[in-house]
Amino acid sequence: MMNWIRKLGANSLGQVEEIGEVVRFGGRILLATTRPPFRWRSFMAAVFDSGVLSVALICASGLTVGFVLGLQLYNTLARFGAEDSLGTAVGLSLIRELGPVLTGLLVTGRAGSAITAEIGAMRISQQLDGLRMMAIDPIHFIVMPRATALAFVMPLLSAIFVALGISGAYLIGVELLGLDGGSYLAGLESAVEFRADVLQSLVKSLIFGLLLGLIATWRGYSCEPHSAGVSRATTSTVVTASICILLADYLLTALWSI
Amino acid sequence: MTEAEAEFGHVEVRGVALAFGHRRVFDGLDCDFARGRISVLMGGSGTGKSTLLRMIGGLQKPDAGSVRVAGDVIETLDEAGLAKVRNRLGMLFQNGALLDSMSVFDNVALPLREHTDQAESEIADRVHDRLAAVGLLDVDDLLPGELSGGMLRRAALARAIVTEPEILLCDEPFSGLDPPNVSRIEALLTHLNRDRGLTLIVTSHHMATSLRMAHRILLLRNGGCVEGSPAELASSRDSAIREFLGKDGAEHLSRLGREAQGAKG
Repeated sequence: MMNWIRKLGANSLGQVEEIGEVVRFGGRILLATTRPPFRWRSFMAAVFDSGVLSVALICASGLTVGFVLGLQLYNTLARFGAEDSLGTAVGLSLIRELGPVLTGLLVTGRAGSAITAEIGAMRISQQLDGLRMMAIDPIHFIVMPRATALAFVMPLLSAIFVALGISGAYLIGVELLGLDGGSYLAGLESAVEFRADVLQSLVKSLIFGLLLGLIATWRGYSCEPHSAGVSRATTSTVVTASICILLADYLLTALWSI
Repeated sequence: MTEAEAEFGHVEVRGVALAFGHRRVFDGLDCDFARGRISVLMGGSGTGKSTLLRMIGGLQKPDAGSVRVAGDVIETLDEAGLAKVRNRLGMLFQNGALLDSMSVFDNVALPLREHTDQAESEIADRVHDRLAAVGLLDVDDLLPGELSGGMLRRAALARAIVTEPEILLCDEPFSGLDPPNVSRIEALLTHLNRDRGLTLIVTSHHMATSLRMAHRILLLRNGGCVEGSPAELASSRDSAIREFLGKDGAEHLSRLGREAQGAKG
């Protein structure tokens, strides 16, 4: 029993210690963004890797989610004779929740895990130590451009997801099921507000991007220095970032509605 | 350089203790690396040769004791302080540690681009000069992954010396090299030491080359070290030293010892 309590205590202390280290690491990234030179070339390369190369996945996912939403919501709304509200329902659910959250989860799986694996591989092959020995800060040179790129691309990818989702639902509702196109778009236009919906969506995506940037780079930077360690860190990035994104979504939604 | 300057400890290790879990690597290690001299670290696998180099570079903190590099106590420095010290150091890692997403040219040019205001043409000249010195030609656009092990190590050495450091830490510089390239790297390191006063700390299992180059040899064992000039080690009756050096090393040392005696006579 005492052993069990001792282990629990040690684990809890370890967790608290790691949170402290993550916060300190985040502070170092923030500080690195203010220290010249800003690594534009690395930043653009990371935007390409995390953003541009994710566009196809985001488009396909957005369109598919739009199809499903169009079909499900049309059938549900039709029971109450409210199928004209399809544009409103699709628009609000995609812009406020599904767009930022699903984009966050998809980018976590595609780009976040890749960044962890890349930095982890650099750690085990001593490339980060090599940079340190040249008096080059790996956080400034390697971590900061990748973390900021994730925060930069997330709102853009989320916007693409939402646009494709709304288009997908339009195709199903209007072109396939015969809903009036004008009423779909009018419902969408009248229901969506900039501050309450669009701004909330963009802020959420930005925060998800910041969270993912921090978690993905930290896991790679601090992974155990062997291949199994990189593999564990990559898995941990996906799990931790997904949970953090879902929790943050709840908190942000609650805060926004105050 | 006067004899007094040469004997001044450029790197001083005092009472260093370090353990990885239950395995004790150093237990009160004391040693000095003189300014402008070539010191060769020897010892069996796991005796802490690479770890000692990492400590000197500030990449590994000791559990106890201190490491002083050119007057600065390494373990008391923050990242900014360490960066200042590292500007005076070069390090060749055992696996090269080149950035695998950058070409060989960009890897070697990186410290110059980061720490100097040199024009790109000057940087290119310097990079090509260093690559030629290690025997690498026409490799500018290759990625590290496209080089052989020996070429990779030589490219890493070019990067380590491109900023003309005061102290060069080399982890197994001859490993994986063919005989002509061993001679080339030996000549290059000896030249840098003699003509530019570079303090060189080398770990090596390449017995003959190390013994030829070394001003001092430090044999790491049992958490501490035995040190001396090659001639002193040649006359050592310590069976552990003779066993480690083996037949070839002992013969080589005896020859060096006889040569030293002859020179005195």
